[in-house]
Amino acid sequence: MKKISLDHIGQYGIAIAFVLICVLLSILHPAFLTLSNLRVILTQVSINALLAFGVTFVIITGGIDLSLGSVLAVAGIAAAIFAHPDSYPLVVPLAAGIGTGVLFGAFNGFVITKSKVPPFIVTLGTMTIARGLALIFSNGRPVSNLSDAFNFIGGGTIWGIPFPIVILVFTFIVCALLLGKTTWGRYMYAVGGNELAARASGINVNKVKMMVYTLCGGLAGIAGVLLTSRITTGQPNAGMGFELDAIAAAIIGGTSTSGGTGNMVGTLLGALLIGVISNGLDLMNVSSYYQLVIKGLIIVGAVVLDSMSKNR
Amino acid sequence: MDQKLSTDYILQVRGLRKNYGGIKALDGIFFELRKGEVHALMGENGAGKSTFMKILAGLEKPDSGEILLEGAPYKPRGTYDALQKGISMIHQELLAVPELSVAENLFLGKEITGFWRKWIDNRAINEMAADRLKKLGITIPPETKMKLLSVAEMQMVEIAKALSNDARILIMDEPTSALSDREAERLFGLIGDLKNKGVGIIYISHKMDEIFRISDTVTVFRDGRFIDTRPAGELDQPALISLMVGRKLTGFFPENTSEKGAPIYTVRHLSQYNCFHDISFELHAGEILGISGLVGAGRTELARVLYGLDSADEGQALLHGEPMLPDSPRTAIRKGIAYVSEDRKSVGLITKMSVLQNISLASLNNYAAYSFIKKKDEQSAAGKLARHLRIKCSSLHQRVETLSGGNQQKVAIAKALLTKPKIIILDEPTRGIDIGAKAEVYHLIRQLASEGLGIILISSEMPEIIGLCDRVLVLSQGKQAALLNKSEATQEKIMYHSMPR
Amino acid sequence: MIRKAISSLFLAATLWSCGGSETATGPVIGVSMLSLQNEFVVNVADEIEKKAGEHGVKLIMVDAERSALKQVEQVESFIAQKVDAIILNPCEVEASSPAVEKAKAAGIPIVNVNSETNASPSAFVGSDDVESGRIAMRYIAEKLDGNGNVLIMHGYMGQAAQIQRDKGAKEILAGNPGLKLLAEQTAQWDRSKAMSLTENWIQSYGSRISAIFAQNDEMGMGAVKALSEAGLKDKVIVVSIDAIPDALQAVNKGNLDATVFQNAVEQGGQSLETALKLINNEPVKPTVLIPFKLVTKDNVAEYLK
Repeated sequence: MKKISLDHIGQYGIAIAFVLICVLLSILHPAFLTLSNLRVILTQVSINALLAFGVTFVIITGGIDLSLGSVLAVAGIAAAIFAHPDSYPLVVPLAAGIGTGVLFGAFNGFVITKSKVPPFIVTLGTMTIARGLALIFSNGRPVSNLSDAFNFIGGGTIWGIPFPIVILVFTFIVCALLLGKTTWGRYMYAVGGNELAARASGINVNKVKMMVYTLCGGLAGIAGVLLTSRITTGQPNAGMGFELDAIAAAIIGGTSTSGGTGNMVGTLLGALLIGVISNGLDLMNVSSYYQLVIKGLIIVGAVVLDSMSKNR
Repeated sequence: MDQKLSTDYILQVRGLRKNYGGIKALDGIFFELRKGEVHALMGENGAGKSTFMKILAGLEKPDSGEILLEGAPYKPRGTYDALQKGISMIHQELLAVPELSVAENLFLGKEITGFWRKWIDNRAINEMAADRLKKLGITIPPETKMKLLSVAEMQMVEIAKALSNDARILIMDEPTSALSDREAERLFGLIGDLKNKGVGIIYISHKMDEIFRISDTVTVFRDGRFIDTRPAGELDQPALISLMVGRKLTGFFPENTSEKGAPIYTVRHLSQYNCFHDISFELHAGEILGISGLVGAGRTELARVLYGLDSADEGQALLHGEPMLPDSPRTAIRKGIAYVSEDRKSVGLITKMSVLQNISLASLNNYAAYSFIKKKDEQSAAGKLARHLRIKCSSLHQRVETLSGGNQQKVAIAKALLTKPKIIILDEPTRGIDIGAKAEVYHLIRQLASEGLGIILISSEMPEIIGLCDRVLVLSQGKQAALLNKSEATQEKIMYHSMPR
Repeated sequence: MIRKAISSLFLAATLWSCGGSETATGPVIGVSMLSLQNEFVVNVADEIEKKAGEHGVKLIMVDAERSALKQVEQVESFIAQKVDAIILNPCEVEASSPAVEKAKAAGIPIVNVNSETNASPSAFVGSDDVESGRIAMRYIAEKLDGNGNVLIMHGYMGQAAQIQRDKGAKEILAGNPGLKLLAEQTAQWDRSKAMSLTENWIQSYGSRISAIFAQNDEMGMGAVKALSEAGLKDKVIVVSIDAIPDALQAVNKGNLDATVFQNAVEQGGQSLETALKLINNEPVKPTVLIPFKLVTKDNVAEYLK
């Protein structure tokens, strides 16, 4: 019992906030608590959640990745270019998209570990580079006319479950296991908790950092493929500002920006909270000006509730 | 109580109580401080000293009880108020701003401005700071950035800062924990001056010799309760220890029972320019080799090179005859060298993580299959060690930051031991831990030696070096000044070799 | 400061590379475009480049990346380089106005293309966005015989195109009391956001939706995608604006009911020609309006290349 309360105490606040919001929305709008709306929410959340999982790893090690949204776009374009009907087998666009994400992540990791320039600056640079390349590869125009097989990833269903939800669940399990159950996860916490002490404990700090940025890039690549397939077009200007939503999800979920704390369940809840708010406000046809204010208030409220439950 | 003397009391505390949740941190404390008196406050960690100090410094409010400052009720609204009323505290943890200069730190919060300029006059504060430091016999240039100073130098600045507040009462919490003996001497001189000026000093330290040397009166707390106040002259070390721990502590330094084994580790002509030069020694299995020297002699720097945290410029080290200068701690651990840092919080431990996670961190791969941690194996190994070292924690999942200093130190040692080292380097292993825990650590070190480990013990505490070590390497200004056998290693001799020349 | 330095460096490089070409003797025109990440703007820019080539004009084309501040800096830089004329594709109505005033003060003719600024330029070439909103909503009204529930999907709130397209659409709604505005919401010109918004609307209104007016094609395409997945496309009319190739394809396939063609080619070409006339002191009309055209399945073949 003791063990659970100590390891997971940070999640209570966000879980309570999430449940409260859901109950409130179910009362306010009859369409909210329906199976089909649940499907819609989870599908919409999947892209932000994938990015948020990636950035959770990075933030736990004490870093940050601002290039997520742009990497998503360039990965989406890379996938779309190879996804025209009757051109290449499905594996080619998938490999191109995810591979592009991995490459950008590895690039981030390489520059950060070799140069000691703060991640904030490095990934800010990558953000611009990736956006530029997305525009170059696509000539500034959407890449459309994609194969049905490719479009299945974002639009298809398995036993009635939209495929993005399947990807979301699978990725969540892998990320949660990696972070919670493996030596690598433990090393990530150690590096973020105290880099010097981690090094003195024989941890290869650079390797851990390299890994988290590559992982984060790879997840952005998957998200890029998913988004491209969902809207059946590679959009060079897709994903603008997505990094902020992803970081918000992680922080709402209890990941501390100073590093060393956080977990995947919290991040998933954070992403769900953001998604549920968007969905609920759209259902109730709240004006977009008010939506911004309400979203902001709810996010701040959730974080305050969370920190209160931690300090108790 | 002598009625005649009572007017001399600058501070009187009666029946002070403070509860945290259900825990009685202070349970009816009495304390009286005279003008011009050095009053030692003794007790094991958790005895209530820190809480008491926090109340005096205005950081906490008592639940009940009375404090009189020169006869008037004293209820500070905060630290600033306490300072205004003349109660100044030198913290155990250093609170300097690393990016500012020494002078700027000294006058932080009360910058002096030029006559007609509103901005901070750098030259003026540098001059005033130089003046102040000179009076205290501290030779640090006032324009030096704080982050470039050694721990000892930072502490000197902290003391200078506290004294600049025209204090009537000065609280010193372990002021010499990072100071060399020479620097400590200077501090004692300073304390003498302050006494003559009528400042009352509350002095907290775990170092017995210091207490007997400088204090006039000793008060002992135990488990939040007041035990006794006595003139220092009436006490001796065993009496004081038994007051503190409530029982007799026998065999403070354990007897050396182990046989010296074969040499396992050889260091030859090791140099790191600017830090140390031409260091050579041999370490035998089952031996405790002490490294002594003043602050800045290059002891920690040497340890860091041996452990692969920094690289050497010249020389070599051989472990079982094989060249062994590790390029990283990772290599060092793999080859059987472990290191327990002097700086628990920034190098030794990850305080946000649990006891379990810290203990297993350096040897996690031994408790994992295909990168998946085998929780049961990890827990049983760490648990066994935690019990063996008698780490006091509610569970293995308690966060390290919530443990006492002594227990944190044991966690750091446990982490090093779990890597199954052949050699363990202990850098100031008893810094900031209380006397009971110290004795336990000493016994542990001796026990490890008897199990055949080679131990390098770096310490600033002379009794520790003399009481525990089989041989002592003395460093002075980065040079190997002497390598003394146990029979030769006396306080005088070590001191003699430590002195720069 | 740094940004300014970089952009002028960039300009210098562009100038140098143009200077190396054989058309070194022709007039120089500076062009600052709203955003070369937007397909419509790219089409306008392409036509300007094409026409410039035909007339032997040296072009310095820069991307303001939707920043009015950057745009003003770019125009300042054009003035410093003493270009013969400037073509401006303004980022914002108010904030881009200083660019126009500065150019005029320096005696350099300036042509606004596609959207307007508060400060009046030497000439304006573009289309009346209010009209596009009217055309789109009028089509919906006709298709529904004046009765039904309509949803409006906005672009970035507060931008000129959003305000004007909304104005036109609302005018027609006001004239058709049988059309009920069910809800309106922004999807920020973005396809994936439009798709999510439409999904949410479907949850809320379901089969009550009769038509969606999206203020650009990107959002229209997102709405079509969400409706198709929900099996509602046949029951809901979707109309959007811009006639980008994707949208034309969709109209051809019958997924998108109609789009409104804004003539990028004409806007680009006319703006360059107007600028040339101004350089040569020939008379020009202060406002050159390029008409919009409704594109439906019946006439889409004309627009498909």
